[in-house]
Amino acid sequence: MSINRISGILLQEFYITKRSLEVMVDVVFFPLINITVFGFLSLYLSGGGNPASAYPLLMGMILWQLLYITQYSISVGSLWSIWSRNLSNLFISPISVLEYNAAFVISGSIKALIVFLTSALLSLYIFHFNIFQLGFSNLLLFFINMVIFGISTGLIIIGLIFRYGTRIQALAWGVTFLFQPLTAAFFPVSILPFPLREIAYLFPATYVFEAARAAIHNPSINWHLMAIALTENTIYMIICTWIFQKLFSKSKETGQFARNEG
Amino acid sequence: MAKSVIEVKNLLKHYGPADTGFTAVNNISFTVKEGEVVGFLGPNGAGKTTTIQMLLGITSLTSGTINYFGKDFKKNREESLQRINFASAFNTLQGRMSVMENLMVFARLYSVKKPKEKIMDLVSYFKSEGLLNKTYYNMSAGQKTRINIIKSLLNDPDILLLDEPTASLDPDVADTTLSLIQDLKKSRNISLLFTSHNMDEITRICDRVIFLDQGKIVAEDTPLNLTKRLSDAKLIVAFDAKKEIVEKYLTNEKQSFSFINKFTVVIETEEKLIPKLIFGLSKADIWITDIEIKKPTLEDFFLHIARGKSKKGEKNVN
Repeated sequence: MSINRISGILLQEFYITKRSLEVMVDVVFFPLINITVFGFLSLYLSGGGNPASAYPLLMGMILWQLLYITQYSISVGSLWSIWSRNLSNLFISPISVLEYNAAFVISGSIKALIVFLTSALLSLYIFHFNIFQLGFSNLLLFFINMVIFGISTGLIIIGLIFRYGTRIQALAWGVTFLFQPLTAAFFPVSILPFPLREIAYLFPATYVFEAARAAIHNPSINWHLMAIALTENTIYMIICTWIFQKLFSKSKETGQFARNEG
Repeated sequence: MAKSVIEVKNLLKHYGPADTGFTAVNNISFTVKEGEVVGFLGPNGAGKTTTIQMLLGITSLTSGTINYFGKDFKKNREESLQRINFASAFNTLQGRMSVMENLMVFARLYSVKKPKEKIMDLVSYFKSEGLLNKTYYNMSAGQKTRINIIKSLLNDPDILLLDEPTASLDPDVADTTLSLIQDLKKSRNISLLFTSHNMDEITRICDRVIFLDQGKIVAEDTPLNLTKRLSDAKLIVAFDAKKEIVEKYLTNEKQSFSFINKFTVVIETEEKLIPKLIFGLSKADIWITDIEIKKPTLEDFFLHIARGKSKKGEKNVN
């Protein structure tokens, strides 16, 4: 692992983020709009009574964004290189796939942290919802779990883009929305009908949302749910890394990797 | 004797199933020596780009080996790529970023020591100081080519692969780019593997040419020797005589010919027969007013292969 090469990709990420309105809109504008809309929706649903009753909705959005931003950074980071016909230039340098992905994991985690802090402060000052009341340890565990799940999802999406080309690039923006209902981001899992409930428990994010809703009333760590989330995340990370490697190899074997820029 | 810096043995690239797929590169072997400039030529679909992609590690091999500096590329990818670089008219840098930002990124990817100094040296060598703060996307094709070449020199490569670096450039900028490449060859002793569709460029800068067709190497020699393999030449004769007399003489001599107008004939013949034909025409009371001889060029050789011409006029292609 070369720190120099990882920092090269991070530097590129920094310059692209700084110079691209699209990235700023996706990473800053939309998350803040989401928080604002969900904040007002929470107030409306509380019927002017106790706003705390609708806070799980706002909290669900703050946590879901961690997944979205991490996955988005990993997938769209590579798309910028494909759109610029620069991906080959990167991969003919001595950088390894591991270093390349590590850079996007770091970049995605930093962006997720910034969005989380901004959203948390916005919720606190406008809607008087203090997510920090869940406790630092809880928030750290939620953050780690959501970011790891975002990394796994991002790896699969970028693997699919390398393998099948930009015709499936819409997945980079859309896939995480699938997890909103499937992981019961804004409502208890018990609301879901039977088959969906079973599917929901296949995703680590479901346990994070469940634990976070419980922590609003009792901020002690739910080790049982966190242990399942971490175990599932470990399994997902191993499987997704393996699938990514397979897709990447297949992309080079079929010539699609080089054709991505054509 | 110069060392081999690239050794390719039995390189094969087959796409799709073994029985129904397509073989893009069919069992080719070649070497590139230290400081040598090798032209990689062939019609579209000959396998040039696929070979270059395999040489760069962005397309995997079906079989065969690639060695750089005597070491297996697959096992020594990082070490090999640190000493190689690539520039092409078809892949570019990040459009939204400035030239300086782009070059700083690649300086880190190649772990360049004192990156700013290195960039300034190269930018100054290529007289591109004014481009540093320009956004890459907003530059002209010629400016982008220059910056791509600067990027490809950041790591002081021992081998430079150039895939049609002058494509889409106007003749003046293409000429400047070629001069820069020639300067590089002289000043740094870099080995170059160069693809182009412009035969004059290849003749100008390459020590040796490898011709590919349908995935196979069909010829390998110096540009001059390749043109000598074609013995056909064109003799254009302007005359002051009756067309029928010229026609009768050339028919008797069993020559292939066509008239451009009433007083000019183009004769396709073997180079060695030209003096005899001129003498024969004069002897037949044909007053010759002008003569032009067109010898075969590398382009003729290219067309010969690309169009799969008959073996007539070819001494020995392989």
